[in-house]
Amino acid sequence: MSDARKAILAALRQEPTTHVPPLPEVMTSAGGPTVPLDDRIRTLTEILAKLGAPVDVAADMTAVSTRIREVLAEHGATSLALSDAPLVQDAAKELPDSIEQFAHDADREQLLRSNAGLSTAQCAIAETGTLVLVAKDERHRLATLLPDLHIALVPASRLVATLGDGFAQLASDGTSPDSPTITFVTGPSRTADIELELVVGVHGPKALHVVIVMDA
Amino acid sequence: MTGTPHSRHANAFHAQANDALQDATLKKALRNATDLFAERRSAAIDAVPDWEALRDHARKVKDATVARLDHYIEQFADNAEKAGATVHWARDAKEACAIVTKLAEDRGAKRLVKSKSMATEEIHLNKALAERAREPVETDLGEWIIQLAGETPSHIIVPAIHMTRDAIGQLFVDKLGIPPSNEPKTLAAHARKRLRDHFAKADLGISGVNFGVAETGSILILENEGNVRMTTSMPKVHVAVMGIERVIPRFADLEVFLRLLPRSGTGQHLTTYQSILTGTDNQAKSAMGQGPEEMHIVLLDNGRSKIAVDEKMRETLACIRCGACLNACPVYQTIGGHAYGSVYPGPIGAILTPQLAGMHEAKPLPFASTLCGACKDVCPVKIDIPSLLLELRQRAVEGDGKQAPAKRGFFELLTWRMWSWFMRNPTRYRFATALARLGQRLPLLQKTMPPMAAWHSTRELPKLAKKSFRDTYRKAKKESNG
Amino acid sequence: MNVALFATCLGDQLSPDAVHATVTVLERAGCNVTFDPRQTCCGQPAFNSGFWQEAREVARHFLDVFGDAEAIVAPSGSCTAMVHRFPDLFRDEPEMRERAEQVAHKTFELATFLVRELKVTDLGAKFAGRVGWHDACHGLRELGVKQEPRQLLSKVEGLELVEMKTCESCCGFGGTFSVKTPEISTAMLDHKLDELAMTPIDVLAAVDSSCLMQIRGRLERRGSPVRTMHLAEILASQ
Repeated sequence: MSDARKAILAALRQEPTTHVPPLPEVMTSAGGPTVPLDDRIRTLTEILAKLGAPVDVAADMTAVSTRIREVLAEHGATSLALSDAPLVQDAAKELPDSIEQFAHDADREQLLRSNAGLSTAQCAIAETGTLVLVAKDERHRLATLLPDLHIALVPASRLVATLGDGFAQLASDGTSPDSPTITFVTGPSRTADIELELVVGVHGPKALHVVIVMDA
Repeated sequence: MTGTPHSRHANAFHAQANDALQDATLKKALRNATDLFAERRSAAIDAVPDWEALRDHARKVKDATVARLDHYIEQFADNAEKAGATVHWARDAKEACAIVTKLAEDRGAKRLVKSKSMATEEIHLNKALAERAREPVETDLGEWIIQLAGETPSHIIVPAIHMTRDAIGQLFVDKLGIPPSNEPKTLAAHARKRLRDHFAKADLGISGVNFGVAETGSILILENEGNVRMTTSMPKVHVAVMGIERVIPRFADLEVFLRLLPRSGTGQHLTTYQSILTGTDNQAKSAMGQGPEEMHIVLLDNGRSKIAVDEKMRETLACIRCGACLNACPVYQTIGGHAYGSVYPGPIGAILTPQLAGMHEAKPLPFASTLCGACKDVCPVKIDIPSLLLELRQRAVEGDGKQAPAKRGFFELLTWRMWSWFMRNPTRYRFATALARLGQRLPLLQKTMPPMAAWHSTRELPKLAKKSFRDTYRKAKKESNG
Repeated sequence: MNVALFATCLGDQLSPDAVHATVTVLERAGCNVTFDPRQTCCGQPAFNSGFWQEAREVARHFLDVFGDAEAIVAPSGSCTAMVHRFPDLFRDEPEMRERAEQVAHKTFELATFLVRELKVTDLGAKFAGRVGWHDACHGLRELGVKQEPRQLLSKVEGLELVEMKTCESCCGFGGTFSVKTPEISTAMLDHKLDELAMTPIDVLAAVDSSCLMQIRGRLERRGSPVRTMHLAEILASQ
């Protein structure tokens, strides 16, 4: 044990506390009344709309691919970094050759050059408009960060109602202690550092587009 | 201007505050910012029906944690190391800077990037690194602006709030050689481009920590811009500086704090990104190769352990640095952060700085308040700042049993002793007040004696009534008793 | 109900009219009001300045004077809040602390006493004019005084209560703060008073003489026609 560690712990133990307040049970919003999927989708859509991130619902993989193609075209994106999720791989197969694709193990340069990144989300939270990306389960850490546009495919079965439900989902997936990174993403990057004027698109993606995949 | 950023000091509070009051641009910017954040906070919490329950709960979690801080910080360190991080312990600022500097030197880090961290400002890390290794590039837009300007932050959430778009535009022209612009969108775009370059080439990234989870050894960092994700993903080495009071017991506890912090600070449900980092990619079950190879966590004491064992002041450590107290404080709203001359301004600064830096280094701060209590109202963890300010005032004046009083002029002591002598006895009280009524007949005396002159500088002086209540009441009673 | 009036040193010396009005109001509400002339001050100025030893000396006298009272009422939120802090002030003296707790429990600010204890809101008062209310900080945040003055004022015939956006904004007095940092004190007050330009009122009222003294001083310096009045004076008007 280092000297500093010893010294700091000793300093903390210097005066025994007369009364140690008990740690309360965890407070969580998980396990609330069941919210129908339609309502969850609606809430997610409304919240993300306020943040400038469109949300679409795709009935099947064909619809997913079509939507991806459209979004890429809207943004004039010609290159796409992919995560290693099977859903992403499947969707990517349907894209035209005009879109340059970079696989999940592409190098830095390529990732930095990509116009767009495609990933799934391990969970999505309707209440806050949040995507939960778990690095252990999918290699999307940089594909969802570096390109200007991030397209996220969210399996409908993974869209939960509240923040607490999101935490519960992580726990039940056995995720919490294992994943080196868990990233919560709520909309595109933003700042108000200059005179409090909102600017969307700073260091993270300038645009976020969510596609909810039914049946998945 | 009284001071350049590095000559500002908490003990020069009065002069610094007066400077701020002369700055019309600053006044307007501060008013806009604090009003806006306060409005947004209000709107956000109105939509949360169990807001009070959340506050109570979070406070209970914090109380339980701080009371056993040794246990939880040790648990945190052990679990962080099990997950693959290297944990360092720093007793003070000097030690913390030495650790980070050595890490940078040992790894031959030539390019360093950094995300916003109050703890790193507290220990003056950038200065230390500049001297031995290389000054890190701040990547939070507001902090980068401050760095380019050679300034210090004036607000916890929006560090460059005191600068106009014109000033920032000019700064960019001067320092970056961009074509002139004062459009925030354009300026931000330039920042993105420049800082991308730094991120891509950085050897080492430094971040702060909002919460450290004892149960898992994870750290959580909140942000809106994406620069934390970049700083903690791109370079091979990540160094996180964490105040020891940032630890919370369980992973699941993060939920409550995530509900409270963003809403309190900026009125957002959640900030754009939360990064929960546990160990390194290379330690994960499957090698990810998409993040740093090394994670270092520097646990910083720097006076926190002293606060933790101080039963009266311990709740100071419940602070989650949301900034709500700054936005609510009528004093802060009027003078801004630089006036305080300390890394932590506003109400939290007024209680934290005297404790971390020592009362002698921050004498005016506990007195820089009317004790209005607006801060206590908005604090998500219900820190009773007014009571803590009163406690610090008492210690400043009467000493705390360990140190001599820091703020107890002979004249002031004499004044209060006399005041008490007169006030605790009705006859002496009547004598003193009669004397004061006499003195009122001398307007010159009134307007030149220091306390009265200070009052008279901006306000008409109050007039003692010709006859006090007790005189007229006695008379009325006598009359009614016949 | 027997009420021991605590005039407060500011009330006694600076605003005796407000204290007389307080007596009138309490009597109209059915109380038997007594005034013990041994009383002086609650000790707040010394306490807020960190001179707790001196504050205790004055607080002890307060406890001696008011120890046996049935109920103590003060036309001041800040003085009442100070009395409520007496137990903490005597934290190292168990006996005094006990006494302090007893006295604190029966010490009330005027508006709260009328509305919560006596359950009285209508005192038959008449006052014509537009009145803005200042929520003095100690009363608001330490005693929870918010609705009570409004309930009382709403029953005053002819009175138009004007809610100010900055009603909860600190007036900047803060005791010695007002003279130690007069510029900040005044800047804080100006933020509050600037609203009057858009929200015309005749009278700015509060239940604290200290706030009113600060506000009045600045209004006069600014050449404003707005007057200040103590809550009791309005409630005693006929």
